[in-house]
Amino acid sequence: MRIPDRRFALYLMTPAALFLAVFVAYPLFRLVTDSFFKISPIVGGPRDFVGLDNYIRAFTSEAFIGAGWRTLAYTLMVVTLEFTLGLGMALLFTTLGRKSQVWRTMFLYPLMIAPIVAGLLWKFLMIDNFGLLGTLLSQAGILKDPNQIGWLSNPDIVLFSVAVPDIWLTTSFMCLVLFAGLQNIPGDLIEAARLDGARAPSLLFRIILPLLRPVIAVALVVRGIDAARAFDTILIQTNGGPQSASETMSLLIYRTMIRFGDPGLASAMGTIYLLAMLAIAFVAVTTIWRPGKDT
Amino acid sequence: MPSRTATAPQTTTEPASAGGGRRRGGVNREGLEAGKRSTRTILWILLAAALVLYGFPFLYLLFTSFKTPIDTIAVPPTILPKEWTLDNYINALGRNGVPASFINSIQTAVISTLLSLVLAVPAAYGITRYKTASGRVFIMAALVTRMVPPVAIGIPLASMMASVGLADTPIALSIAHTTISLPLSIWLMSSFFEAVPQDLEEAATVDGCSRLGALWRVVIPVVSGGIAVTAIFAFLASWNEFLFALLMTAVRSQTTPVVIANFQTQFGLDWGSMTALAAVYSIPVILLTLLLQRKIVAGMTLGAVKG
Repeated sequence: MRIPDRRFALYLMTPAALFLAVFVAYPLFRLVTDSFFKISPIVGGPRDFVGLDNYIRAFTSEAFIGAGWRTLAYTLMVVTLEFTLGLGMALLFTTLGRKSQVWRTMFLYPLMIAPIVAGLLWKFLMIDNFGLLGTLLSQAGILKDPNQIGWLSNPDIVLFSVAVPDIWLTTSFMCLVLFAGLQNIPGDLIEAARLDGARAPSLLFRIILPLLRPVIAVALVVRGIDAARAFDTILIQTNGGPQSASETMSLLIYRTMIRFGDPGLASAMGTIYLLAMLAIAFVAVTTIWRPGKDT
Repeated sequence: MPSRTATAPQTTTEPASAGGGRRRGGVNREGLEAGKRSTRTILWILLAAALVLYGFPFLYLLFTSFKTPIDTIAVPPTILPKEWTLDNYINALGRNGVPASFINSIQTAVISTLLSLVLAVPAAYGITRYKTASGRVFIMAALVTRMVPPVAIGIPLASMMASVGLADTPIALSIAHTTISLPLSIWLMSSFFEAVPQDLEEAATVDGCSRLGALWRVVIPVVSGGIAVTAIFAFLASWNEFLFALLMTAVRSQTTPVVIANFQTQFGLDWGSMTALAAVYSIPVILLTLLLQRKIVAGMTLGAVKG
């Protein structure tokens, strides 16, 4: 009465697969179907089939196009800064070797802090009038007046300001992953390059970075996906303002649904957002990450 | 379809498969370490400066939570409180709904961690032990799940929960959180199972154990460390999550992150209480991190690679 291995494996996977089907796949199906309807925000209200109308409204809406570009800019900014800072720290830890271990632990703790707390904290640091950041910069002589930069009130720079908590929270993640990768670069390779007279910059760009490529690719893809979904930190800092200057895709969809009570339009935006994420992630995974190709 | 070991660059799986983030040192260590004493001193100073800068924001949050209301919004702001007070803590924790929100947060995180483990452990075992085509499809599907923006499924999920009478309950929110932690748990557990030699359970089956018996009595004890890592990550994901909590909870099941966010609107800008509550909410997980840092590093590195 022994069931075949293949079926046994299937039985083991079924509960998890069912869970994901019911609570991820089905809601996604609902999202896509809802996007073709005009839905009243009242529960049990009318639903009228409107075809592609919601999609047309999304693509012709300035808010949607703007949020798309902002999400892209935000993601690029967050990932670039995190990568640069994280790599710097990882190299620092590596060159300092074993003794830096305690310090590495200290560097980890922001990872455990809730994004909502990080957002709140940085809002408090950057807020006009009594924010500490402006004061410190002016005391250091960098700014003439503590309120010279309206971190969260100037639409031109607010997208950068709301990215700061995200960068603060997850640079250590980037550092950790890159550090793990650096541990696996064979020492004799570096030695050989040193003996050949390679200086630090060429060592970094010609040897270390190419060898780290797979690790870098994974870290960038994973962080990119996360940054593109940013919500908590921005909501608590600016709620998308001023004048929508920090309204990213997640925020716009949330507000379209909750504030403006338009589930149909929100669903269409959500569907486009999801498809774009999947497409970009697919391209990134196959071209940058290339799983299994050259590890 | 690439095999799993190939999906993850071999380089990064190493520290985690060794169990506790211990790394193979030896040759590589001499390679990148700085040689000259003076260079090393400069690098240490640089590191110390970076860490002070990095740690400062959270210290400032702690200091602020001990300030008096006037101190909190003083212009120009001071770093240390002029006068230390516990009023903010008393205020924040005594506020209506705050103690209940802590209980909700704990409840939700515990339920979603258990749910995630119960589903992920057998699934990951099935995927790793029997390399079937369906297993490979399933693990890729779990990876795709990670790319789904929570806002896209949050709204339909909330209305689904409402239609089965689960609106505003910790159960509904736990299920939502499990949609996030389950895929990651499957990836993490798969790598831990990967490291278990197959002859272990083969020996057990020869001795008369059933396959389930071998899994339960032989394999599970071996991967218990991995299960602990996976549990920590599932717990943290739920503890810190905000968007689902915002969409799916109202009065009864609100978690603390939502309460922290609501402070802004409901009570004007009471920075003192907000920072106190934020500190209280962060301290348990910071302690957890310090206690279990090696396990967390292992999971983090693996999590990055896998999901």
